[in-house]
Amino acid sequence: MRQIKTKTGIGRWLPRKFDREKAAGTLEFTDDLRFGPELLHARAVRSTIARGRILSIDYEDALKVDGVIKVVVGKDFPHHFGLYLKDRTPMAIGQVRYVGESVALVVAESEDAAEEGAAHVKVEYDELEPVFDPVKAATNNDILVHPDLHKYDHVGFVTPQPNTNIATWFRIRRGEVDKAFKETDHFFEETVTCPQIAHGFLETHCCICKHEKASPELTIWTSAQSAFTVREIIAKGIGYPLNSVRVIAPPIGGGFGGKAGMTIEALCLAAAMDPDIKGRPVKLFIPREEVMISSWVRQGYVARIELAVSKEGKIQAIRNSFWFDTGVSAEYGANPVRSAGYTSTGAYYIPNVWTDCYAVYTNKPFGGAYRGFGLPEFMGALELVIDTVANKLGIDPVEFRKRNLLKKGLPTCTGMPMHDHGLESIITKVAQKINYDQKEEPIRPGWKRGKGIALAIKAPAIPADASSSAIVKINGDGTIEVLAATMDMGQGTYSAFAQMVSEEIGVPYDWIKVHFPDTKSHPYDWQTVASRSTWSMGMAVKQAAISAREQIIKLYSEFWEVPEDCISIEYGSVICSKLGKSERLDERIQNGFKMPDGILKGGPIIGTGSFTPPDIVYPDLETGQSPKSVVHFTVGAVGIDVEVDPGTGQIVVNNVAAGYDVGKAISPVGIMGQIEGGTIQGISACLMESMSYDEHGRLLTPDFTDYKIATTMDVPSSVDAFWEEVPEELSPYGNRGVGEHSMISPAPALNNAVYDALGIRIHSYPLSRERVFKAVRALSNGEKDFWEWPYELEQVFRRAKKSWE
Amino acid sequence: MTKHIVRFILNGRAVKIEVEPRTTLLRTLREIGVISVKRGCEEGECGTCTVLVDNSPQKSCMILAMEVEGRSVTTSEGLIFPDGELHPIQQAFIDEGAIQCGYCTPGMVMATYALLMRSPDPTEEEVRNALAGNLCRCTGYVSIFRAVKKASAMMKKLPQGAGDR
Ligand code: FES
Ligand code: FES
Repeated sequence: MRQIKTKTGIGRWLPRKFDREKAAGTLEFTDDLRFGPELLHARAVRSTIARGRILSIDYEDALKVDGVIKVVVGKDFPHHFGLYLKDRTPMAIGQVRYVGESVALVVAESEDAAEEGAAHVKVEYDELEPVFDPVKAATNNDILVHPDLHKYDHVGFVTPQPNTNIATWFRIRRGEVDKAFKETDHFFEETVTCPQIAHGFLETHCCICKHEKASPELTIWTSAQSAFTVREIIAKGIGYPLNSVRVIAPPIGGGFGGKAGMTIEALCLAAAMDPDIKGRPVKLFIPREEVMISSWVRQGYVARIELAVSKEGKIQAIRNSFWFDTGVSAEYGANPVRSAGYTSTGAYYIPNVWTDCYAVYTNKPFGGAYRGFGLPEFMGALELVIDTVANKLGIDPVEFRKRNLLKKGLPTCTGMPMHDHGLESIITKVAQKINYDQKEEPIRPGWKRGKGIALAIKAPAIPADASSSAIVKINGDGTIEVLAATMDMGQGTYSAFAQMVSEEIGVPYDWIKVHFPDTKSHPYDWQTVASRSTWSMGMAVKQAAISAREQIIKLYSEFWEVPEDCISIEYGSVICSKLGKSERLDERIQNGFKMPDGILKGGPIIGTGSFTPPDIVYPDLETGQSPKSVVHFTVGAVGIDVEVDPGTGQIVVNNVAAGYDVGKAISPVGIMGQIEGGTIQGISACLMESMSYDEHGRLLTPDFTDYKIATTMDVPSSVDAFWEEVPEELSPYGNRGVGEHSMISPAPALNNAVYDALGIRIHSYPLSRERVFKAVRALSNGEKDFWEWPYELEQVFRRAKKSWE
Repeated sequence: MTKHIVRFILNGRAVKIEVEPRTTLLRTLREIGVISVKRGCEEGECGTCTVLVDNSPQKSCMILAMEVEGRSVTTSEGLIFPDGELHPIQQAFIDEGAIQCGYCTPGMVMATYALLMRSPDPTEEEVRNALAGNLCRCTGYVSIFRAVKKASAMMKKLPQGAGDR
C-alpha cells in the first residue's frame, strides 16, 4: 500500500515555482546580483577578420583610459577548454579563426570604462584566406582551421581526422546498402540546406568570477544551464581540484542549449586569475550584438539523402551524407552531429543504412548545443525527403509514414530495438486535428492553402555515464527543501520535482522549495540538457524523497509502537488510523523523538538519491552499432495548416497541432509550455531565421532588427498541444523528456504544407517571404524544386552538386 | 563627466538621482535596484526593459534618464499592491502558464498594462499590436494571448480604478 495522500502530486496542474517572483520582476538573474564597489568589469576586444595571424596587440592607449586597470591577452591565459574536444582557448593565441573571436580583455572599474578601453586596443593581423563552406572545408584541405587538431584532447566517441577540417565523423554501416540500392524498384536522391541559426534567448551571457587573493579558490556566478559541467570544464582546464571551484547558477533567462557546457566563464576567468586582479570579482556581461557574433549557434548543414523504396512503398535502404557546419569549434558541436547520426533513420524502420555525419570546421562562430541537438537538423531534412518521395510515388504522405514506422521491437539504425510508443495514434490525431484529409479553401482570397505533417524523434544525447543526484531535506516544520542541480530555465523542472516530492512524502506542493544550483551545497548533476532532467534527475529526486519518507515512517512506527504499514502521511500530517492519531510534521523531525524507552532518537532527516543510466553502450566507431545506444526515444508528430500569398511570399499558419508521447505527464503545465513554445520556435526558425554572413565572414544579422525571431505578429492564435502516455520502463513515473522535441518537426511540417499549397519543393531553409516569392516564380517557369541559400551556402551547394553529378 | 540631478516619480514615490547626461533610464533604474527592467539588447529591439512613462509604454533603454524629469515612471514592481498581492495582470500570466524563463515577463506585463488601460477589452489584433515590440523566446506567445484575455476579465471585476497603479 502506498502510505501517502496528496492533492499536489504528479500529473496535477499547479502554479509553477518562481512564477510569482518572475511576474513581479523581483527574481534576481546573474546581471541583477550586486557586488559593491570592488566589482571590476571586463570587455572583450574581438577579431574583425575571419582568419589570420595576430601580428601585434597594442593596448597602450587603452591603459590610459580613466578607470582601465589591466588588459589581458590570449598568451596570458593559454589553457585549453572543451567538453568533448579541447579545441578552444578563451582568447585567440597567435591567430584568429572567426570574426568575433576575442583577442584581448580590457578590465576596468566600470562597464563604460571597459567599453571605452576596448575601443582603444589596436590589433594588427596578417590576413589569411578563410574557409566558410562546410563541403569545401570537408573535401579540400588547403585551408586548415585547426592545423593542431591531432594535439587536442578528446573523449573516445569523438573522432577528429588530423590534417583535415573534420572534427568528428560519425558512421552507420548496417545491412547491405549497395545491394539494396542496386535491386530497388525506386531510387530517390534529395538535398536540403539550412543555415546556422541563433538561440535568441533574451538574457545575454553574464558571468562574475572571483579568485581568492591568497588561496587557489575560485567562485563563479554564471548564467549557465549546467553548474557542475562548468565546474568540471574549468577545473580540468586550469588544473584545480573540483572542490576549489564553486559555481553558483542564478536563474537564467532562457538557454535552449546556448548556455550548456561552458560558455564565457573561461574568458572572464582570464581576468579574474590575473595576479593584479586576484581578490576582486570581475564581471563579464556580453551585450546583444556580441552574443550574436561570438556565441554558439545551431550548426548549419548541407544534407544529401538517398532512399531505396520498394513498389509496396517500403523503404529498403537509406544513404545519408550530412555536412554540419560546426564553425570554429566542435568542443560541443561534435555531439549533435553524433546524435543526428545515431538517429539517422528518423522514426522509420529501414533495414539497410549508410550514414556519414561530419562536423566540419569553418571560419565562423562555433556550433554547439541547440534545442533538439542534431534532430531538428536531421529531421528537417529527412521529413522533407519522406514527403517528397511519398508524393512522387503517389502514396499519401501520412500513409507512407505509417507504413514505414519504427514500431516496437524493430531495430533502429544502431541495431537497438525500439521500445513501445504511441506514435501511430499521435499521427492519426494530428492528421484529424488539422483536417489533413480535406482539401480546404483558403480563408484569404487569392492565397493558396496546404497541409503538412512531420514526425519527431529524439533520444537524450548524453554520455553513457551522465549522472544525477539529489538531496531532500525535511525541515523542523514539515517544509521541505530539495537540492537538485538542474537549472529551471523556464521549462518548469522545479515544479515537476516538487510534485514528485509531494507525491512521495505527502506534503503539499507549497511546502516544498527547490533551490537554484550551487556546487558548494548541491550534489552532482551532469547537465541540464538533452530533455533529461525530469527523467534522470527525477530518478534521483524520487529516490531521495522515498528515502526521507521511509525514515519518517520508521521513526513514527517506533514512537507510536505500531507497525510501519499502519502509518501514512496525508497532506502534511502523519497518520495512524489504528490509533486514531494525526500529527503535523514538526520539530521532532529535526530534533528527534523521545521514544517509549526514554531514549531520544532520530535527528534531521535527509533523503538522498543517485542515478546513472545503467546500460548504454557507445555505438561502434566503424559501424555505429550498439545493443543499447540510447536510454529511450521520445516520439511525436506535428501537423500544420498554412496559407501562402503567391503575390508576396507571405506564409500564415492557420492551425498547428503537435503531440508527443511523454510516457507520463508529471507537470502538465510545463509540458504544455514546452510544446507551445518549441512549436513556435520551430516555426520561427523555418520562416525567418538565418545567420547570414558576407564574403568576409562578417555577420550581417548581429541584432534582433536583422536577425528576425517570431513576434506576436508572426504566430498562430494557439497551438493545439497534446500528449500520449505510453510509459517508459526505466523512469521515475514512466515519464520521458519533451523539452526539445517540440522544436524538431514544426519546420519540416511547415515546409511540407507549403509544398502542398504551392506544388513546388523549397529545399533551403528558411522559407522567407522573398524566397517563397521566388519559388512561386520558379513554379510558373515549370520548376518543381527550388534551392536558394545565403551567399556562402550557395557556393557550397553549387560546388557540392557538381561533385555529386 | 558632470552629473545632473533628475527628479521623477518612481512607482508612486518621488526620487532624486544623480546621473550622467548620457545614462539611459534603463541603467539608472537598475542602478537603484529596480531589477525588473532587463537589458536584453539595449538597442530598443526586445522590450525586456519596458516601463510606463506617464501612461505610455516605453523602452527604457531608448530614453535618457534626464528625459523623465518631472514625469512618472512605473515598472513591474510598482504594480504589486501594498499588501504584497500581485496585480491581476501578473496573476493572469501565472494562471495561464505565460511565464517560462521570466526574462521577458516584467516588460510584457507593463506592455499589457498599458494596453488594458487604454483598451480594457482588446481584440486579438490589438493584443498582437500592443505586444509586437516585446520578444519572448520561450512561450511562443500563445499563452501570453490567453493571459491578456484573462487579465482583461479579471480587471473588469475589480472596483473602478482599483487596478490602476
Ligand atoms: S533592452 Fe530595451 S528594448 Fe531590449
Ligand atoms: S518567458 Fe522566456 S523570454 Fe518570455
